Amino acid sequence: MEILRNFKRRKLRSALTISGILIGILALTTMGAMAEHVNALLDGGVKYYSSSIQVSTASDSSPLLATSTGAQLEAIAGVAAAYPGIGLQADSSSQGISFGPSKQVVTWDPGVERYSTLAMPLASGRVLADSDRGVVVVGSNVARDWNLRVGGSVDLPKKPKDAPASFVNHAFTVVGILKPTLTAPDQFLYVSLPDSQMLLGDTLSPALKGKLDPTTLAQGFSVYAAKGSSMDTLDAIARRISKEVPGVKASLPSQIVSSFKSGSLIFSAITTGAALLALVIGGLSVINTMLMAVSERVREIGLKKAVGAKTHHILREFMAESVVIGLIGGLVGYGLGLVLTTVFNALLGPGNELFLVTPALTGLAIGFAVCLGAIAGVIPAWRASRMDPVAALRAQ
Amino acid sequence: MALIEMTDLVKHYKQGRTTVRALDGVSLGIDAGEFVSVVGRSGSGKTTMLDLCGLLMRPTSGRIRIEGVDTAQLSDGRRAELRGNRIGFVFQEYNLLPSLNVLENVELPLRYTGDRALGRRRSVELLEAVGLSDKIRARADELSGGQQQRVAIARALVNRPALLLADEPTGALDTETASEFVSLLRNLNEGEGLTVMIVTHDLELAAQTDRIIRLRDGHVIEDARQLQWEREEVAV
Repeated sequence: MEILRNFKRRKLRSALTISGILIGILALTTMGAMAEHVNALLDGGVKYYSSSIQVSTASDSSPLLATSTGAQLEAIAGVAAAYPGIGLQADSSSQGISFGPSKQVVTWDPGVERYSTLAMPLASGRVLADSDRGVVVVGSNVARDWNLRVGGSVDLPKKPKDAPASFVNHAFTVVGILKPTLTAPDQFLYVSLPDSQMLLGDTLSPALKGKLDPTTLAQGFSVYAAKGSSMDTLDAIARRISKEVPGVKASLPSQIVSSFKSGSLIFSAITTGAALLALVIGGLSVINTMLMAVSERVREIGLKKAVGAKTHHILREFMAESVVIGLIGGLVGYGLGLVLTTVFNALLGPGNELFLVTPALTGLAIGFAVCLGAIAGVIPAWRASRMDPVAALRAQ
Repeated sequence: MALIEMTDLVKHYKQGRTTVRALDGVSLGIDAGEFVSVVGRSGSGKTTMLDLCGLLMRPTSGRIRIEGVDTAQLSDGRRAELRGNRIGFVFQEYNLLPSLNVLENVELPLRYTGDRALGRRRSVELLEAVGLSDKIRARADELSGGQQQRVAIARALVNRPALLLADEPTGALDTETASEFVSLLRNLNEGEGLTVMIVTHDLELAAQTDRIIRLRDGHVIEDARQLQWEREEVAV
């Protein structure tokens, strides 16, 4: 109560000091929320690509591979399984700025679950079975944006308003909805290989349609080694694939993961920068205010010492005051940051969110503000606690 | 046994290049239950004596015993404890904290020493005793000078000290309020056996105490006890 009354007695100064921390924590919350969003996306990428090898065609003329290539891949030493994959735009009419992957129809083979480290738990329904045709498991964003329910139906790909007369799509029954993963699968619609091949066939030009059999085609392969294989092992297998299987190239998982991690580092640097900004602005304002408070309350310190206060009592009281300044600034700054990021996310629309406020970020923002107050209060509180009681009592 | 025993007490200050001899070999004792005033001109050393007796500073040399305890041997923490538990202070400018109400000001010493739960009742009783029971929740700066000084007395007594040290306690009060203040101290001295030591340059105030110690240039030049009728004559 005494601390709050001291703030009340010096309203303007207290407000300005709290504003200093508020600005810093606001910056930390918004920048941190942006970094959390991007890092969640990148983290999913790291998990996925650190357990698989992506294989594509080495040919510049055709982006497609024959599914029979899978047998060649599985013959390479160390390869446990190779799954053909196809990824197609699910909604070509969607426009505007997107801060994550677009909605895609993606091949899903039930066997992948035995090898992938990227968990995709179900919110409702079931996963795909080997024999499934005409059914789809959808990511959480897709389900929300398109209002899909288990048992409902969705036409894939979505028909654009300006679709030509030749546009073809197919009805799929939703059998499962995934829980949010905060990464790419939230935007995906998973179908069986035959269904994705059928959709791929629809995208072929009329000239190719007669020549190619879509049921033998894939855009690439996801190749897996035994679960738990190291990155070095995966890299070695990738090198062997590129060398030994004609017409394909395998990306080194370590390079892909490294590119994701460097992206993550950039956003971590942004958060650190915001924290430093908070430290400088907020810290200096708290130090300034508390030093002024100490010099204004010299007689109060003297009196407290006269009536029995020890050094640690005075130290604790002034530290508590600066911690409360930090806490108030932190709570208000975090609250404003939360409102701001929520409003921005709403303006950007579902699926295009830019900010993610996590419990860890909440703890960081408020904990940082409190620590900032405590650290900035050390010097003023120390000065107060070491004051000579006689000099303090007689101060003018 | 003397409550306060000063032996060859010396306190020198450095002021620029010169050394100020604030107290220069003072030896005297003050017994429990005495009502003493220390008088002298500015610079005579009376406030220094109060600060030393109140353990607010350490002497350059010499010894102060309080209730038989040699305070020179005590750490700063133990001195603070002794101050909080056995000594009460009243200052000329009251030194009430504006961020606390009247009751909280009285309870302030309990924050550092004593039992806060028991102290609440004691604080209320003391405010009743000094006639401020209706001002318990008032802000300190809403009170008159005399009322603020009474709050300061209540604060000084909340931990049931053995010694009350008052530094120019009537300096900011009008004559009538000052007289009421002295009567209050007298009642506490006679009723509760509280030892009172007042530092003042007001000879009329000093004349109402039982013993007058006169200082000059850091030396005791007079130490006189007064009889009751002498005091009453001055009061009239």
